[in-house]
Amino acid sequence: MSLHHQVDINVNRFGTFGRRDFLRTISASAAAAGTLSWTDLMTLRAAELRQQHKACILLWMQGGPSQFETFSPKPGHANGGDTKAIATNVSGIQISENLPLTAKVMDKTCLIRSMNSKEGSHPRASYLMHTGYLPTASIKHPTLGSVVLHDLGPKEFDLPGFVRIGRAGRGNAGGGYLGVKYDAFSMQTAERVPDNTTLATTDTRYERRMKLLGKLETQFAENGGKQEVADHREVYDTASRMVLSPKMDAFDISKEPAAVRQAYGSSDFAAGCLLARRLVETGVTFVEVSAGNWDTHQDNFEQVRGLCGQVDQPYAQLLVDLEQRGMLEDTLVVWMGEFGRTPRINPRAGRDHYPRAFNVALAGGGVKGGQVVGQTDPSGSDVTDRPVGVSDLFRTICHSLGIDADNEYMSGVGRPMKVVDGGEVISEVFG
Amino acid sequence: MLQSRFLLLAMLALGFFVTPVLAQRPNSELVARQVDTLLVSDIGVETPPKSSVPLITDDAFVRRVMLDLAGELPTPEELVTFTLDADAHKRARMVDQLLNDPRFGDNWARYWRDVILYRRTEERALLSAAAVEEYLSESLNENKSWDEIATDFITAEGDVREDGRTALIMAQAGQPEDTVAEISRIFMGIQIQCAQCHDHPTDRWEREQFHELAAFFPRVAVRPNRQAEKRTFLVTAVDFFPRFLRGNPNARFRGTAEHLMPDLENPAEPGEQMKPVFFATGDALSLGTRDADRRGALADWLTSANNEWFAKAYVNRIWAELVGEGFYEPVDDLGPDRECSAPQTLDLLADSFVASAYDVKWLFRTIMATDAYQRPSQSRRAWEDAPFQANANQRLRGDQLFNSLMQALGINEELATRAGGGMQGAYGFRGGPRTFFNAAFGYDPSDHRDEITGSVQQALLMMNSPNINRAMSANNFNGLGRMLRTIPDDQELIVELYLRTLARAPTSDEIQTCVEYLKEVGDRSEAFEDLQWSLVNSTEFLHRR
Repeated sequence: MSLHHQVDINVNRFGTFGRRDFLRTISASAAAAGTLSWTDLMTLRAAELRQQHKACILLWMQGGPSQFETFSPKPGHANGGDTKAIATNVSGIQISENLPLTAKVMDKTCLIRSMNSKEGSHPRASYLMHTGYLPTASIKHPTLGSVVLHDLGPKEFDLPGFVRIGRAGRGNAGGGYLGVKYDAFSMQTAERVPDNTTLATTDTRYERRMKLLGKLETQFAENGGKQEVADHREVYDTASRMVLSPKMDAFDISKEPAAVRQAYGSSDFAAGCLLARRLVETGVTFVEVSAGNWDTHQDNFEQVRGLCGQVDQPYAQLLVDLEQRGMLEDTLVVWMGEFGRTPRINPRAGRDHYPRAFNVALAGGGVKGGQVVGQTDPSGSDVTDRPVGVSDLFRTICHSLGIDADNEYMSGVGRPMKVVDGGEVISEVFG
Repeated sequence: MLQSRFLLLAMLALGFFVTPVLAQRPNSELVARQVDTLLVSDIGVETPPKSSVPLITDDAFVRRVMLDLAGELPTPEELVTFTLDADAHKRARMVDQLLNDPRFGDNWARYWRDVILYRRTEERALLSAAAVEEYLSESLNENKSWDEIATDFITAEGDVREDGRTALIMAQAGQPEDTVAEISRIFMGIQIQCAQCHDHPTDRWEREQFHELAAFFPRVAVRPNRQAEKRTFLVTAVDFFPRFLRGNPNARFRGTAEHLMPDLENPAEPGEQMKPVFFATGDALSLGTRDADRRGALADWLTSANNEWFAKAYVNRIWAELVGEGFYEPVDDLGPDRECSAPQTLDLLADSFVASAYDVKWLFRTIMATDAYQRPSQSRRAWEDAPFQANANQRLRGDQLFNSLMQALGINEELATRAGGGMQGAYGFRGGPRTFFNAAFGYDPSDHRDEITGSVQQALLMMNSPNINRAMSANNFNGLGRMLRTIPDDQELIVELYLRTLARAPTSDEIQTCVEYLKEVGDRSEAFEDLQWSLVNSTEFLHRR
């Protein structure tokens, strides 16, 4: 009991101290005084364990959200439909009426309204927006989460460093040529802890079994199954570390006070955002939370209103919560989907795929909030200022996280591949 | 190129395809030999001569064909009997036997169910899962030809719970664009849906051609079946369009008289009426044609020998499943501007498949008779290595793995389902342990196999699932429990566990490892539980090699 008390006091001081100072204080004094258990200490030192202290949360709007009904309303134009614009807490920036709470955290958000690509098919565009590359037969590019984990992940960490929450769409890609070690750990829902994370036997017997398994794998490895056995081993090692870890509590959002849960809201996506915060706090490097389906070919207005209702509160609260905990500066939050939607409203009151001009929202991770990058013409059809390509966006994300975008990996085909091909950092994002 | 023409001509001259009786199938064994020869010329690398690289051993062969055809492991008895059989033609005989085993239909029905349903845009299409499995299983077992099966899916009408032929249309909620995109992808290996919004940037199909294809489907309606007791849907044809009902051009509940291609410049306009035209052959119908005639004509044209994609797509897919790698990958993207890794070989197989009158079992028999199929397996090749030098290891599909697990642990699926309380899935579609297991281990069979890797969640399930661990308990009446009581000799029991779980005998090294482990643990029951756990959690158990 007294232990929890101690932690609470310290956590409350989190914001005022500045994260690193706080950690230094905590690790030196509290640990020396023996007031914190090893587990608590590890939890609190999460950021220290992560190289460069950075983490990233990707809020993936699967299906391609309509920019008109989210961040770029065009109330004066026929293409804008009946969607109204509302003021935000940054004067001069208006967003759609569907996002009233997001409007209150606009000072923390940098909006890119001039995002554009050429890819309008779901799986290919999802792949592009996750990897920075178009799919090819010969090279499996790693997804953003895998790259971030590879470059920033701690050397020793029990939990999977890259967690995906929500139903996965196609084309989101995995570890690619970086290997299965960097694949995502996926969970359908954040509402309950992942299945089968309790051991079926004692720890000792489990470890004994794993050793036997290791020995019995050699026969297949030496007879045509070398790659499969190596991949399998990676996965089983990750799984073992995880289930044996005291950090597994991080997956349990029921451990949060009711008030915290309420602040995020009640949608699946809200639970996902809360879990994302818990995981990053524990030391997970990259969390991807999916919401959707935003593929509103019909009844766009009705559908997007509903989807915004699920996303608005958790997004705003995530930024507030991260900030209050002193984590926002080191945690980049990216809100995006695979493309935008057509300016013209189709006969079914829907909008179709439109990669030529869409939105991305960035927050935290050194991003200067309260600003808009780029714009489109009054009809929303074309980017008229500061076009941002996919490579530009990826470079900007890398810059925020301290990843060298020109770093070359050896791809499976023995060809060096840059983290990002071409593009430039959007410097104004960082003020 | 010249050489390949010559080869084909020579084969024709030898009476290879053309036999006096048209109904006679090309000879599987002969075609298989030609395939192996053509592969060498296609790839340009001398495939290892038969003498230096022996084909797989008998036990490996039995496990491979059992998994490929019946979707489960051989029993220890089947393994031993086959290995001891001296018949020189026993492999072909085994293939024939399994092609006539009802499990063949079950196994491939589940495969195609996944092909169709993994791409569903309508969740409630899961209502048709059981029916489509049943329809396909019956059709494949009675060797209905592939063109008949394709025709059934294209022309389907009926209740989606009752009639599995409706599954493909239901999976796309009857939307003409989505439905024809799936028909094109599954039956022709052509991803024409990219041309839905714009002329395809890399392929040669144009936007108009896509919408002309969609024009075969406007009169198909998918609507709730109000007559049925359980919640379900009807796929129906609508040919009556009174004027007062016109207006909403998008009512999938009712269907529309003609398909309209949206005007990209003026999306608010209703769009242009499209005539049904089949892009691959150029065959066309006029506006106003009744639904039955539209879909019937499409099925005829799509499955005709004039449409080369139909045979090629099927051959490519089955070859990929059996040999471990397709001529085209992913298996449902053939072109027209994609690269084929062995074009002459694919042509030969596709032409012969046409000559066989799309005989599904014939194609299995033929591919399985090739050396390419019977080579020892390897991990998937590196991109720069020549293809088809070995059969590639394949991760088992969810159903295959589930069957293997049930066999290895001696569990009866029916009993397990009943014990589990018959979990009811979403929308009341069939649940139970198999569905549950498939949710974790299943994958879309059309996906590139490079992308299908094991996950931590799967590892956690295999390692820690209380159900699986309970099934391995030494106290059980069945499975390991029974074996522990009936086989007192440790070495004998080790061999038995290997045969049951991995369908092969342990090597002497493995026996030694196990014996040492038994000694280390001290408790016989506990040690064997651990061994069973390790074998089930091994990489080898998860793969068809």
